[in-house]
Amino acid sequence: MKLEITTSGEFKMVKVNGRIDTTRAVEFESAVVSLIDQGCKNLIINCFDLNYISSSGLRVFLVLQKRLSGQQGIFRLCCLQPEIQEIFDISGFSTIFQIFPTEEAALAGEK
Amino acid sequence: MNTHYHKQLTLRNRVEELTRVEAFLEELATEWDLPVKLILNLNLALEEAVTNIMFYGYDDEEVHTILIDFTRQDDLLTISIMDDGHAYDPTARPDPDITLAAEDRPIGGLGIFLIKKIMDQVEYERKENKNYLTLNKRIEQ
Repeated sequence: MKLEITTSGEFKMVKVNGRIDTTRAVEFESAVVSLIDQGCKNLIINCFDLNYISSSGLRVFLVLQKRLSGQQGIFRLCCLQPEIQEIFDISGFSTIFQIFPTEEAALAGEK
Repeated sequence: MNTHYHKQLTLRNRVEELTRVEAFLEELATEWDLPVKLILNLNLALEEAVTNIMFYGYDDEEVHTILIDFTRQDDLLTISIMDDGHAYDPTARPDPDITLAAEDRPIGGLGIFLIKKIMDQVEYERKENKNYLTLNKRIEQ
């Protein structure tokens, strides 16, 4: 798993490349939580290159959502591949998260 | 044409072994000519089942073996996971409420549910102090 972190206006954009499974979830969580600890309130996770996620990864997304909504922040996801979207649908996570088709849409907050 | 294949994977109860599941499934995809999406789903079902065993199956620090048996009979794939951990029937676990909002959603409890959703059939059996979890999936090309 690789993470690319950029800033776009009021948002931090985290591009995930690879897999978020049980062995990698902790690394993913600590990297993103440290952004929030450093004051990031608005976060977009770009999932274009995310090709696998298990319940450990979904758990981290839920943690981030709770964390950011607890401090009136914004948490958005974009560019999910169909296989990943399906896992989100099955888990009921598609309705919990704000999911956008493109980075631009996620930044604008318009579906 | 009748096809029958059989393959086994043995894991230790250590989380690092998950990378071997990944590698094994890649091999299986090629040898048994399985679609990429199916492999992704099998990986997910296996990760959820195996991590449950690794995290909650044992009280001791000993190394235990988890045996995973793969059979393909025509377009029916059967995966049987055997472990010598505590008796635990994951199929008896109630499904999480997936309609809850984020604030009310408990962290975790999703793994078994994902297995049940992904696979066509999930069965549990306790025999001779071992857990057997059998997963069935019809292969759609």
